Amino acid sequence: MVRTAATQLVTKRAAHLRFERLLAQAMIARDPVAAMRAIADDASLPEELRQAAAAADPRGVEMTALLVARLRFERLIQGSIEAASWFEREPDQFAAAFREYHQTVAPVVFFPADEGRLFADWLRGRGGARNLMHYRMSAQHDQTR
Amino acid sequence: MNRRSSSAIPVGLSLQPDDDFLGLLDPIICEHIDYAEIAPETTWWPTADGALVTNRFHEQFAALIDTAGLFAVAHGVGMSMATASTDDQARQQRWLERIRDDQQRFAYRWYSDHLGASSLAGMCMMLPMPMPMTEFSAHIVQDRLRAMQSVIGDVGIENSAFYFMLGTPLAEADFLTAIVHPPGLHLVLDLHNLYTLSVNTEVDIAAYLARLPWSKVIEIHLSGGADSDPAWLPGGQTMRLDSHDHAVPEPVWSLLDAVLPRCRNLRGITVERMEGTVTPSDVPLIAEEIHRARSASAKLR
Repeated sequence: MVRTAATQLVTKRAAHLRFERLLAQAMIARDPVAAMRAIADDASLPEELRQAAAAADPRGVEMTALLVARLRFERLIQGSIEAASWFEREPDQFAAAFREYHQTVAPVVFFPADEGRLFADWLRGRGGARNLMHYRMSAQHDQTR
Repeated sequence: MNRRSSSAIPVGLSLQPDDDFLGLLDPIICEHIDYAEIAPETTWWPTADGALVTNRFHEQFAALIDTAGLFAVAHGVGMSMATASTDDQARQQRWLERIRDDQQRFAYRWYSDHLGASSLAGMCMMLPMPMPMTEFSAHIVQDRLRAMQSVIGDVGIENSAFYFMLGTPLAEADFLTAIVHPPGLHLVLDLHNLYTLSVNTEVDIAAYLARLPWSKVIEIHLSGGADSDPAWLPGGQTMRLDSHDHAVPEPVWSLLDAVLPRCRNLRGITVERMEGTVTPSDVPLIAEEIHRARSASAKLR
């Protein structure tokens, strides 16, 4: 079958879109290195993209995923007074909540305030809104001192 | 040190939305630099319905630029130059419209962003992710640069500090060359990013530099970084980070001396520091970096 240029472009675009989605998922996966290895082995991707994934240094994949999480953490702390207060008072508990949040809720916002809203919605959904109320009151109390 | 007299190539400093940064570096900003680099997205605030409004730093930066007699350049991190997905299209369009409004106030002389995709399939990674260095990816980046060109005529792409690559490091130099080939598209050469790449991958810097399109280099960035915490990676491994939180290291100054004679269309050298990284003891160091960048470019005259 002769492929037209347009068909080839659609195929390339589809392949790059799939690659992009897989890479995003790898960056927030529990095991980013394994997820990256899976991309390199994904038979549905063209050879060119599989080779690209295979070239990724595992150390660098691990580091990048860690930085993605750290930047999201900072974004949340900056965007939510309640989250910042919770982290200050109960860092281990907050860190555990954040890890679950990061792996459960896709990072779809850019600005800190939006991340704060997203986190609050997630907590509310799992019945944790009471935590944030407590830390809102604590934060307000701190600000008046 | 008189900023108006001693170098043919303007020297700039990144402005950060950080009161301590601005307060401590005010004398340097007002007296010793020619231009300010601004990440446009740091001057915005999102409303609940997704509109972008200016935050207090927007006017603060604009007033500072006016008072100090500077010009401004835009250098973002969030446009996501290599994203193929259309999930992010609406956001990018909002950003471009916001920058179009900002252009009335800042008159940015050029606008650049980082190679890579900070948004992947609609997910915000915050830092640029490497993309496969394919012809298709190059066209995506060029399309994004052309969209930016509709707002500000001169646009550029910066070599990012990726911690893993989807290809060889030398292929990145060829990839950048291919991207900026069309008229009006430029390269912002970040020498600390290049140094970081060489530390983390052992790439031959001379071989990388030999492949770059020197006539396209419009701006050079200088910054510092640090090694990562050994607790972050398995087995205590570390990597060099492009954290913009320390002095410009000597290898980066050596790179500057090596590349300056090749950059015949260079319009600026920018010293960069991140917010939250400047203490009183950093002020004379940063002043010295500005002076050193100026001296390096003055040798070319």
